[in-house]
Formats: sequence, structure tokens, C-alpha cells
Amino acid sequence: MAAAVELTNVTKRFGTHVAVDNLTLCVPTGSVYGFIGPNGSGKTTTLRMIMRNFYPNAGAVRVFGEDVIGKGAAAERVGYLPEERGLYKTMKVRDTLRFYAELKGYRNPRREIDRWLERVDLAEWGNKKVEALSKGMAQKVQFIAAVIAKPDLIILDEPFTGLDPVNANLLRDVILELRRDGATVILSTHDMSVAEKMCDAIFMICNGRKVLDGSLAEIQAAYGTDTLRVRVELNGKTLEGLPGVVGVSDFGQYQELRVEQGADTQDILRKLLERGRVDHFERTHPSLHDVFVRIAGPESQETQHA
Amino acid sequence: MRKIIVVAIREYLAAVRSKAFIITILLMPVLMSSGFIAEELFGDTSMDISDKRVAIVDHSGAIYDALAAAAESRNAVDIFTEPAEGGDPEQMLPRFLLQRVAPNPQAPDEVLFDLSERVRAGTLFAFVEIGRDVLAPESEKPDHATVKYYTNSPTYRETHVWLKTTINDVVQSIRFHDSGLDADQVSRALEPAAIDQLGLLDRNQTTGEITRAEEISQTISVVVPIILVILLFMVIMTAAGPLIQSVLEEKLQRIAEVLLGCVDPFRWMMGKLIGMVGVSLTIVTLYLAGGLIVAYERGILSLLPMHLLGWFAVYQILAVLMYGAVFVGVGAACSDHREAQTALTPLMILIMVPMLLLESVIREPNSTMATLVSFFPPVTPVLMLTRQAIPPGIPGWQPIVGVTLVLATTVLCVFAAGRVFRIGILMQGRGAGLRDMLKWMLKG
Repeated sequence: MAAAVELTNVTKRFGTHVAVDNLTLCVPTGSVYGFIGPNGSGKTTTLRMIMRNFYPNAGAVRVFGEDVIGKGAAAERVGYLPEERGLYKTMKVRDTLRFYAELKGYRNPRREIDRWLERVDLAEWGNKKVEALSKGMAQKVQFIAAVIAKPDLIILDEPFTGLDPVNANLLRDVILELRRDGATVILSTHDMSVAEKMCDAIFMICNGRKVLDGSLAEIQAAYGTDTLRVRVELNGKTLEGLPGVVGVSDFGQYQELRVEQGADTQDILRKLLERGRVDHFERTHPSLHDVFVRIAGPESQETQHA
Repeated sequence: MRKIIVVAIREYLAAVRSKAFIITILLMPVLMSSGFIAEELFGDTSMDISDKRVAIVDHSGAIYDALAAAAESRNAVDIFTEPAEGGDPEQMLPRFLLQRVAPNPQAPDEVLFDLSERVRAGTLFAFVEIGRDVLAPESEKPDHATVKYYTNSPTYRETHVWLKTTINDVVQSIRFHDSGLDADQVSRALEPAAIDQLGLLDRNQTTGEITRAEEISQTISVVVPIILVILLFMVIMTAAGPLIQSVLEEKLQRIAEVLLGCVDPFRWMMGKLIGMVGVSLTIVTLYLAGGLIVAYERGILSLLPMHLLGWFAVYQILAVLMYGAVFVGVGAACSDHREAQTALTPLMILIMVPMLLLESVIREPNSTMATLVSFFPPVTPVLMLTRQAIPPGIPGWQPIVGVTLVLATTVLCVFAAGRVFRIGILMQGRGAGLRDMLKWMLKG
């Protein structure tokens, strides 16, 4: 499959700080690609390089085969919803959308604007000024602004932040519709469940370096089935000190135990039964959340810096 | 190009639809013409015609009677308009009521102090002390030969001017009489010859007749350049000034990043500048059209230097682009409104420079100083235009060289601002210093 975005040995520095370090990545056309990583890890810088807002210090960034350096206009085929949103407050919603559509070379976008406003339940807000909208509504308007010109590549940085579950579902459906229509979607998010459910592949960046890249199944396979998902009524007791268990994550309703390689899970089950009633016991892959924490958590950071 | 136009249209509409713009456009002519309107509304009632009481301490003893007679004659005739047919004459000026106050050689200052107190109390408007030797200016004590006018309303000129003229007339008349000269003969001999100021003569190309030029109006020669310069200055302020705010809004409201996803920084900036040129043209068209209508109604249209309108447009467009580019660059480099205000101050001083030089340039438009300064690009639009507007004008090559230099500077400003804009617009948290900006300009 042809690549929508291709980064080859890309490095971006700000002064002495290396924001992105020798990054190589390929986002195939038609996929939903998740970008995850802790705050300040280089996600937004990578997205801005793809958007041609920043030029890399070294390496090459290609969007649909075109090198981003030296090209005049930003790619007409890319739509971008940045993490930090902003719209002209005194402009009307319809005028705002027409402005962005025309900037992307889309002529006579009136019908398309109507269709989108209808699709995201904002039909009666078209003639209102942006400053009259709630935060969630403004976010939907900005989303339309990113996709109104029918881009082939859609870059969404934290698109669900601040949306209620109904609107989040609506936006998720719309994104998947766009993908079905042939668009490639890059989805940057801190919500691991969103990344797990929506993305065909996940790329994780940490301290400017690529630490994960592949489908969820591939990533989980790399970590093996080293996780026990359990639900135990502990009656005040803790899960500390179980034999062969090297880490415990308590999610309230259930707990995840990370076990040593070669540990006897039946022995762990027996010990658990001694501590309380076991309602659920499952040997599984680590969740993306767990993988993220293992890579970016304080313990791991200390090890990396040591 | 299409993207530049899309941005320009948005900028233009955002500016001309703003309340501030509409208020400025409507209010400015109202304010500028408020003097005329007040005159029309209140007419003569706005004139101060209350009596002015003036005490005279005449140490010479020779002036008061003649002065009092002159004041009576003035109060009876000069202060009234010519009566309209069947109507009553209307008083236009205040009466001057003179009172003689005897001097006190033992305590002269006491008298003056008492009179000062009366002026403070409002029972007197002013008082005059006429020196003992006023008729003999070669007096050994020059202080005794002077006339002193005391008042606490120094800005009211009417009384002072009348007293000065009339006392001098009386003094001269007495001196003529004492010298055995006939005062009427002397004043006839001293009558100045009238000098009219005229433009040059032309020959009509078709008829061959020589035509006299219109009488040059001194007022129009000076007022027209001043109006054009104020208009140019106002256009720079109204059109280029808001650019800094508009860039800051885009930066602080995080609109910049979305826009950069659609258009590259240089085209974005050019769009903004062209939008603002549109705004400036709108202002100028409205004001000039209004001014020309007024000039037509007052019958002075033919006296106006219409050939300057083309130059005005060129200077105005270049000035808005040149200053606008600098404002855009500064706006992109600042991180909040306070920082922008600080950065604006030196720019405002630069824009004000031509206003400070205006008077000397109008007086001597072809002096070496005026000529050299008008080639300095930041002030060329205002000062070169001023020099062109004052008859007889300046050599034809000068505005061409001036415009070329401004054009080059504008291109340079736009280029440098484009580089600062590209980097500054995405910077958050910290404003850029002058050193950063210079680095961005040079290295891109």
C-alpha cells in the first residue's frame, strides 16, 4: 500500500533541545494511525512537520510522495485539527467554514457546509457568531473546518477532548466514515482506549524517539501474555507480595498483575484465593495503557536516564 | 494568488465591519467639521459680546481723552454689522468701557494692586498704565515711555489689539501735531501699496490667447498639503495599526496553527497586507470624495492640486504596505498585548517624525534639509507629498526616486516581516527580542 506520510531519519531541534530524534515512520494510505506519547515527547512537533509548519533539521518528510521542504503552499490534500483550537470569534460559523474551504481551494462550498452542519447537529447555528458557541460546538465547527475541503489526509490532534460521550460518539462515527470514503487519518490522543478501539496501527514517541510502531496485536504480541486480569474481593487485604508478580495496577473494579517470565499462574491463583473471593481470573496481553505506562512511567524514565 | 485574495477579503471585511471602523469613518468628518457645524447652529450667539471694562492710568495725561473718544466711536459704530434692509444692526463685538484712574506718584504700586484686585473680582476686565514719557521715546528712563497692559485673560486678544493700535494712533497723531506735520498728509504718504500674489500666465494652445493664472490662495497652498498629510497619517494609523492587533489575535487565540495548515505564512501575510490596503483605499475614497464635494460647493475645486491624487494613492498604498509589514512582524514576535504596546512606541515615533518636520518643510520645501529628509523612505510618503503639494512643486525626478526607494524598502520590509512572521506566529509563552528577530530575518 502506498504511503500517505513517510518520515525518514527525521530530526528536529529547537536550540540545543532535540524534539524529534532520527524518526522513521510510514503511515499507509487509508489507515487510521494512532500517535501516542507522553506530554512533550515530540508528537505535536512531528505533526507540525507533516503540516509543513516546521521544517526538519535533518531527514525527509514526504506527504503523498511530495517532500514538504521547498513547496510553497501547505498541501491542499491535508486537513488539520490542532490540539490548541482557535477560531475568529466575531466571524459567523458559515463564514468561518467558507473561509477555510476557500483557502483549501474548494469553490462554492455552500451545500457542503449545510451538509456538515446538519451532520454534526449544528444546522441552526450557522448564522451565529463563533463567540456564541459552547466549547464543544466550537470544537465541532473546527473539525468541519479541517475536513470541509475533502482532504485525503486528516490529522486530528486530541479530537475528543472536551466532548461529551454523545458528541464523542458522533465524531468517532464521522471519522470512521471519512476513512471508509478513502481518507487516511492520523489520530493523536492520550486516550488509550480510543487508540485501541479506532486505530489500525499505533505509533508511540517518547523523548523524541520512536518506541512503538505497529498494529495493536503486534504490539501486544511483543509483550506476550504476561498479564493477569483479576477481580478479587480483598476485604481490606492488598495484592502486594504475591509470588512471581512484579507489578500491580488497581483499576478499582479489576486489577492487572504483571507476572515474571516463567511464573506459575496456578500458584498465583491459589495465593489469591487465600486472600479473598476471586470472581475473575484471566491470562491476557497487557493493555495499551499498561504498555504506555511501562514505557513512559517514572520507573522506566529513571532507568532510561540512569 | 487565490489564497492571498481569500485572506485579503476576510481581513477587509473583518476590518470594515468592525464597530471601531464604522465609528471612525463616521465620527472623524463630524469631529473635523464640528467647528463649522457649531457656527451654523449657534451662529453669532457663540460670540462673546459682554462689555469689557478697562481702567486707564495715564501718567502722561495726554492720551486718555483721545482714547476715550476713540472707544466711544467704536462702541457706537464699529461693533455692529451693517444693518440688513429694514432690520436692526446686530452687535458682533463687545463694547470697551474705559475709566480714568488717577495716578498716585507716592504709591504707584498701590494703585496697580487695587486695580489687579478689581480684575480678580471681575468688576474690571483689564487695566493699562501709560508711561509719563510715552510721547518722548528717547526718554532717559525707557520704563516711563512704555504702555503696560495688565490682564488675567492673556489669550483674549481683542482688547489688547484695539488698545495697542488706538494708543499708537493717538501717540503718533500728537507727535505729528507737536512737530508741525499734518497727520492726514503723513498717513497718505505712508499708505502702503497693495501687492496681490498671482500665479504664472499661460498661453491657450488652441486660441493662442494669453490667460492670467488664477489668484494663488495662500491659505489653499498651505492648507491642502496639511490636509493631505493628515489624511495620509490617519490612513496609516487606521489601516496599518490594527494589523498588529489582528496578528496578535490570531497568535493568542491559536488561530495561527489552523491557518498555517491551509496557507503558507508569506501568502497569509500578503493577504493581510492587501486587505489593509483595501481598507485604506476605502477610507481615502470616502474622505476625498467628501472633501471634493465640499470644495465643489464652495467653488474652490479648480484651486485644488488634482494632479497630486495619483501620487497620493501611490504613497498611501506603499506606506500601508511598508508600515503594515513592520506591524505584522512585530505582532508575530510579541507574546501579549502589553509587549505589543511597548514594541509599538518606537514605531509610532517614526511615524510621527514627518509631522514634527512638517512646518519647516512647508515653509521651505526646497531647502537642503527638506530635500534630503524626504528621501528617507520611512518619511518619504508624507514629506515628499508635502513638497509636491506646495507651489511651485519640486523637480520631477525627486518623487520618482523617492517612490523607488520606498518601493525597495517596502519589498525589504515585507520579506523580513515574512520571515519573522513565519517563526514568531507559532511561538508561545515568550516574546522575541530584537536579536531573535534579526536572526530570523537574516537566517529565515
